[in-house]
Amino acid sequence: MTATIDWAPVLDTDPLLQISQDLFATMIDAEPGHVHHWVGSRPELVDPRYTWVDVTDEQIVRVVIGTGRETGEAITRALLALPDDAEVTDEDFMDAVGEVANVVCGNVKSLVTHPGTLTIPVVAHAAPPLGDGTVLVDACLSWRGAPLTVALWLLP
Amino acid sequence: MKALVIDDSRVMRRIVGTILTDVGFEVIEAGDGQEALMRLEQHPDVRLCCIDWNMPVMNGYEFIVAARKRPEYRDITLMMVTTEGEQDQIVRALAAGAHEYVIKPFTADVIIDKLDYLGLIETGVSV
Repeated sequence: MTATIDWAPVLDTDPLLQISQDLFATMIDAEPGHVHHWVGSRPELVDPRYTWVDVTDEQIVRVVIGTGRETGEAITRALLALPDDAEVTDEDFMDAVGEVANVVCGNVKSLVTHPGTLTIPVVAHAAPPLGDGTVLVDACLSWRGAPLTVALWLLP
Repeated sequence: MKALVIDDSRVMRRIVGTILTDVGFEVIEAGDGQEALMRLEQHPDVRLCCIDWNMPVMNGYEFIVAARKRPEYRDITLMMVTTEGEQDQIVRALAAGAHEYVIKPFTADVIIDKLDYLGLIETGVSV
């Protein structure tokens, strides 16, 4: 039997903002107040990186997070408690920003009580293939003034 | 006291491991459930496992089921630390033998409160 998923709790950018604020306040900034909705026109990501996690079931939902490499490195340093000038390896980068996607996706899954399974995070230079997918919500957030996009896609 | 942190993310192992070290645990790490079972063979004095759910090779739920089949591990406290926050998943993990459940993201205080409730904070350790 196909499970009916109520998407209403995530069909707005505010829940994605709330999840991101909780994540950054508790595990990255150690204080609230650094994540907001982006004000103004959506900026181009500089040297972009994308990370995504799927919730797989009869319906596949993909949570895609985009940010610039520099911002991703700052997130990585914060999560690994590295000095501000520490070099960030690709391995650490993928681990850290992938975990951000994992936490956001897990919390989205909880909001819609999706019965599916989370995939392992993927990190890449390009946005993932979304085919004939439908965007459910696409938020542009600001973390310490840097853009961070969080989008939910329903894949065919 | 020894704790085993089981998570495929090195970032999460560091975060959870630091919290545990700060309250007096000696921390061992594993990147998936299968590696965790090997670590338990090497360290039979582990008292606490902090377990992610979503991992390659053997996930956290499968690890709990496997560990609970082993009588020699019956005294180990199993605490899920995961993004899987749905009620059904929590019930499933607890039914399989987990003692506690922490949902990411979390603060250090959340973990410490759970450890205190479980009686795993040694007397005299400042939290």
